[in-house]
Amino acid sequence: MKEDFLKNWDTQLKKGLLPLFVLQALRNKECYGYELIQELKSAAGIDISEGTIYPLLIRLMKEELLHYKWVEQPSGIPRKYYSISQEGKKCLTEMKKSLETTHSKIRKL
Amino acid sequence: MKLIEFNNSSSREVYNNYIARCKKATKVLSDADREECLLEINSHIYEYMQDHTATDELENLKTVLQQLGEPEVTLKEYVAAKKIDQAVTTFNPKHLIQALYFNIRNGIMYIFLSVLTLFFCCFFLLAVFKIIYPNNVGFYYSDDNFMFGYTTIPDPANELLGFWFAPLMLVISALLYLLCVFILKGIKKVKKV
Repeated sequence: MKEDFLKNWDTQLKKGLLPLFVLQALRNKECYGYELIQELKSAAGIDISEGTIYPLLIRLMKEELLHYKWVEQPSGIPRKYYSISQEGKKCLTEMKKSLETTHSKIRKL
Repeated sequence: MKLIEFNNSSSREVYNNYIARCKKATKVLSDADREECLLEINSHIYEYMQDHTATDELENLKTVLQQLGEPEVTLKEYVAAKKIDQAVTTFNPKHLIQALYFNIRNGIMYIFLSVLTLFFCCFFLLAVFKIIYPNNVGFYYSDDNFMFGYTTIPDPANELLGFWFAPLMLVISALLYLLCVFILKGIKKVKKV
C-alpha cells in the first residue's frame, strides 16, 4: 500500500518538475526530440513518453522559453533541434530558486 | 517530406497507414504547420528505428508508434494551438470557427466566443436573407411589439430599417467578428505571460 502511494507521489512530483528537467537538459546542449527523451532517461532516470514530451515542448515554445531549428541530415530526414532561450534560462533559474526554497522549508519543519 | 524506407512490406504498410492518419488529423492546419508536424513525427520514427536496428523491424515500428500514440489524440493540442495562431493572424472566419471548435473544451471563454461567433454568423445570414427575401426580413415595430429577423407574415409598413437593414447587419457581424478575434488574441497573450 505504502509502495503504491510513494510510487504515485513520485510520478506526480516528476510530472510537475518535467518543464524544469527539460529546460535543464537543454541548458547544456541542444537536442532533437528523440535524443532529449534518451537524455532524460539516462541522466535523470525519467521515463517520459513521446505523447508527453512533444506537447510539453510545444507549450514551452509557446511561452518562448525554447527555440528550435531544423538541421538537414545525410539521410534526407532532418532533425528538429531544440535549445533554451534567454527567457528560458531566466525561467530555469527562478524555478531552481523556488525548488530550493521549498526544500529548505521542508527541512525546517 | 522524405518517407522512411523499410525492408519489410508489413512495416511499410503500418508506417504508411500511421502517416496517413497524421495527415488526416492535421488537415485543417496551414501547409507549413502541417509539414512541420509531419516532419517531426517522421524524424522521431526514423531516429528510433536507427537506434534499434538489431531487433525486429516491424516490432520496433509498432513500439515507436505506440509510444507516439494515436495521432487523433496526441495531435489534438498541437492542432488546437496552431488553429488559434491562424485565426488571429489571417482574419479568416473559417479559421476562427475551426479554432473555436478545436478549443471548445479548453475553458469558459471559448464557449463564450463560440456564442459570439454564432451571433456573428446569424447577423451575416440576416443580411443575406434580406437580399433574397426583402419583404420577409427586417426590423418590424408596431403597437409596442417588435420582431427582428425573418417572418412569414411581413408587415412592410412597419419595417423600420428598410434598405439599411442589410448594411447594418453586415456592420454588426463584422464588429462581432473583430471582437472575437481580439478576445482570442487577448487569451493568447494572457497565456503567454
